[in-house]
Amino acid sequence: MPGVIAEAGRSRLSSSFLRSLKAWLLVLPLLAFIGVTFIVPLGSMLTRSVHAPVVADALPETLALLRSWDAAGLPGEAVYAAAAREIRTARETRTLGQVATRINRLKSGLRGVLSRTARQLRSIGPRPGDHEPERAGQPPDDATPWRDTLLGIDDAWGEADTWLAIRRAGERFTARHYLNALDLTQSVDGGVVAQPPELRIYLPLLGRTLLVSLAITVLCLVLGYPVAYLIAQAPPKRANLLLLLVLVPFWTSLLVRTTSWIVLLQSQGVVNDLLVAAGLLGDEDRLAMIYNMTGTMVAMTHVLLPFMVLPLYSVMRTIPPHYMRAATSLGGTFFQAFRRVYWPQTLPGVGAGSLLVFILAIGYYITPALVGGRTGQLISNMIAYHMQQSLNWGLAAALGGLLLVCVVALYLVFDRLVGVDRMRLG
Amino acid sequence: MSGKTVHVEFEGVNKSYDGRKLVVRDLNLRVEEGEFLTLLGPSGSGKTTCLMMLAGFEDPTGGVIRIFGDSVGKVPPRRRNIGMVFQNYALFPHLSVGENLAYPLEVRRIERAGVVERVRRALRLVRLEGFEGRRPGELSGGQQQRVAIARALVFEPRLVLMDEPLGALDRRLREEMQYEIRRIQRTLGVTVVYVTHDQQEAMAMSDRVAVFNRGRIEQVAPPEVLYEEPERGFVATFIGDNNLLFGRVLGVERDICEADTGTDVVKAFLVAPRGVGDRVTLAIRPERVALDPEPGRYSNEFEAQVDDIAFLGDHLRVRLTVCGSTDFVIKIANTVGHGAVLEDDRVRIGFTPLDCRALVPDEEREEG
Amino acid sequence: MGRLLHVAFCAAVFVFLVAPILVIVPLSFNAEPYFTFTDGMLRLDADAWSLRWYEAVAGDGEWRRALVNSLVIGVSATVLATVLGVLAALGLASPAMPGRAVVMSVVISPMVTPVIVAAAGMFFFYSSIGLAQTHLGLILAHAALGTPFVVITVTATLAGFNHDLTRAAASLGAGPWYAFRSVQLPLVLPGIVSGALFAFATSFDEVVTVLFMGGVEQRTVPREMWAGVREQISPAILAVATFLIAFALLLMGLVQWLRGRGSGSEPAARDAATA
Ligand SMILES: Nc1ncnc2c1ncn2[C@@H]1O[C@H](COP(=O)(O)OP(=O)(O)OP(=O)(O)O)[C@@H](O)[C@H]1O
Ligand SMILES: [Mg+2]
Repeated sequence: MPGVIAEAGRSRLSSSFLRSLKAWLLVLPLLAFIGVTFIVPLGSMLTRSVHAPVVADALPETLALLRSWDAAGLPGEAVYAAAAREIRTARETRTLGQVATRINRLKSGLRGVLSRTARQLRSIGPRPGDHEPERAGQPPDDATPWRDTLLGIDDAWGEADTWLAIRRAGERFTARHYLNALDLTQSVDGGVVAQPPELRIYLPLLGRTLLVSLAITVLCLVLGYPVAYLIAQAPPKRANLLLLLVLVPFWTSLLVRTTSWIVLLQSQGVVNDLLVAAGLLGDEDRLAMIYNMTGTMVAMTHVLLPFMVLPLYSVMRTIPPHYMRAATSLGGTFFQAFRRVYWPQTLPGVGAGSLLVFILAIGYYITPALVGGRTGQLISNMIAYHMQQSLNWGLAAALGGLLLVCVVALYLVFDRLVGVDRMRLG
Repeated sequence: MSGKTVHVEFEGVNKSYDGRKLVVRDLNLRVEEGEFLTLLGPSGSGKTTCLMMLAGFEDPTGGVIRIFGDSVGKVPPRRRNIGMVFQNYALFPHLSVGENLAYPLEVRRIERAGVVERVRRALRLVRLEGFEGRRPGELSGGQQQRVAIARALVFEPRLVLMDEPLGALDRRLREEMQYEIRRIQRTLGVTVVYVTHDQQEAMAMSDRVAVFNRGRIEQVAPPEVLYEEPERGFVATFIGDNNLLFGRVLGVERDICEADTGTDVVKAFLVAPRGVGDRVTLAIRPERVALDPEPGRYSNEFEAQVDDIAFLGDHLRVRLTVCGSTDFVIKIANTVGHGAVLEDDRVRIGFTPLDCRALVPDEEREEG
Repeated sequence: MGRLLHVAFCAAVFVFLVAPILVIVPLSFNAEPYFTFTDGMLRLDADAWSLRWYEAVAGDGEWRRALVNSLVIGVSATVLATVLGVLAALGLASPAMPGRAVVMSVVISPMVTPVIVAAAGMFFFYSSIGLAQTHLGLILAHAALGTPFVVITVTATLAGFNHDLTRAAASLGAGPWYAFRSVQLPLVLPGIVSGALFAFATSFDEVVTVLFMGGVEQRTVPREMWAGVREQISPAILAVATFLIAFALLLMGLVQWLRGRGSGSEPAARDAATA
């Protein structure tokens, strides 16, 4: 008998191993594909949010020398010599602009100093001594021709702060973008302080994004719950029809829906026209319902409502109708019965729908970009701004990283509560 | 039994899914050609597993399975030419009845006219002429079952396996289909290995029944033999009702032994050789026990106390305390009307030693 | 009374859901370059209605190129997403699949990641390997965004598939490939096609990755719409929008129809022992 069982063990091992191997081989192509086309890009964004190679690559020798500088007095002549050479090279390879921008973020004014220095260094030539033939020959050990030259170009080269800024900008890995994204700054000497309230941009925006998303979630719940209930109670034929009405916006292009809201809500739009025609509004005081936060909220609620109704409906459909009948027949009012009997049973649907809507809302970009105007922008729009206009990609990446953390956290909650593999579509 | 061809043979077959627990243990079984053999046993006793090994969907962990003498260990299911009927029919829902039946024929590249003819014949066999065009979803459960049977037969396999094919039907339909399946099997003369956990179904349909218990065959025999001559306590109680008494052998005289149950000495028929001092399990059918017999008529006569009486129309079930058992049931025909016995009465019962079978206790075999 | 209120409330919500989309359709026939109903339109004056915006769109090379781009990118991304998604769903449906939950979260992640974050990451990475401003880059990006839909739909269909059918086919003499082709494939095909339609709709509506990674050569229909809404707002957009609405209704109808067909497979009611 033991022999038989040992044999059984072996054959089971191989056959179940083969089966899971086969399953994995089927899944592997997609995993590899998602890995390369999606996860690696996210990783490259996260890397960029902490990786700042521009200055480090452009001024390697200067930075190496600065590392041993005690920051008390001015750096030695070797640093000035290396800096002059590397600034000139950076100008020739056209990277000086980027380098200057980064350094300027730490100490404003340095952009000008750097470009002025580069310009003048070119006219001076490779060595400052070359212009003074009468002093030819080996300079004395304590001679500081490069320091003098740079100081001659700009006084800033004589300030320790300038060198500190360069040293900090030269760090290859930095938490700077994240500090920036959280409205913190690091002073040149390394301490972290909060920005003065009037300069805070991102935290209030993040707060507003969360608040707006929450408001939209609540709105969707308030609008969606009764609708889902109606569909769940309807006879099958009618339920299907009503479900189609919910699905129409789900399938319609997002841009089309956003365009519709512009057409409806703009000041010369259909709704204002109707109100004016009905005499409820003077032609002068048409309502500003779009290109502001109202527009963002209305359009996003419209876009996200199906994501609330569908999970609610799929839960409500499984609750037998006689529960409510039994509860009301026991003498309670409808609302008592609802609160005690029906609502608790729909909580899984409420959780799933709310999380889904919330997750989608905090990452929304297109709708606020098109109908949000200046006041209706969310965190995504700021990311797009830094990606496309200010070209501060490090900051964009850090903001993206923060948003990603929020979403991943919510996603994990969603997975725990609902299970991603139980998700159904339309 | 001899003289007929052995169609299917299990020899020393073991099966384990997880490498630890054997769900089929040392199975030896022969099915003759044209026989209707039923595997009967409680849930989880390994019936489906046996069928799946025979069909080729599971590999035995040890032992050999032969069909017409050839080991089929390396033969894939599709080459075994075995018809199969599944519990939930497993009809292809996207194909019509006709297409379902034509499927095995098309796989075998039979030309068009032959297919049509055979499909018609198979449908006639299950009395579903004219249903070719319907989808399985448009049929009742019984009709779907007939289609499933027809599909398992249409390619003329010589062996058909059925795994609880009537499990999903209601009682009336089940009885009708039992008859139908039996009729078809007799008409075609195919070998059928049938699985069920319903003992009545097994008794009604089979030539022989193999009783399964925890991965082992307890006994293989025709239904009436199983009922009249169970060889194990498990079989004795699984097929029909039985009273079990436990005792030790006091003495043996030819086929009859005397056994001490602790309170009484019972004479019983020895099914297997036992020696003095061995433990035995005694099995007596409730309907073979007489109430208040003429004194001296039976060599087993005992005083009993009535604990409970259930009135069941044509008969009464009376629960007694007797021979060390507090759960001894007898069945008496309702010929005298209700009230022949009363609770707490003291009565006499009697039965012949031939109706009281002394079996080897089940525990003893487990150990061996 | 309460019930009446409830129904009225729901009717209002349905109007909120559907009316804004429908309003666009008549406005796209406006003879004037306005975004609102003119007096003439309201009087049903034939002159106030016209097909001029449709003609404008049809005659516009940019819109035509955008449509071609959308179709090329959409179809390629859909094929890619469907092939990979179906294979993965087959693996995920196997009970022997270890680490199923983790794999599933990875596979679903493109669906829940904010598209702006995904697009930013893709921009960085695809630029570094020379795929930015190429059709291939967008096809890969859209395929990644579309796969979760395929995987979810097909896994759900496979979960409802009764594996006895495959065994039945084998017992009737069919080889594994023939059994797959003649039994499993037709039964899960509606699910696969639904998933593919979802993936196509995702790509056909996607604008953020196109904004970030697409060059002038890769402008798609939604990208043109975006430009239209942001820059040169013109009722031509409404003509395109009407076309897109019709297209969306078509896709939706197809998916619903397939769903009705797909439910043909019987529930897998067999005991776990035989499954
Ligand atoms: N695929 C499998 N993997 C692991 N264990 C299994 C598998 N199939 C069956 N078993 C186990 O093997 C044992 C025998 O199962 P089997 O299905 O053969 O029983 P059965 O007699 O057909 O029962 P039932 O009457 O309930 O159908 C059970 O304990 C069952 O749990
Ligand atoms: Mg079974």
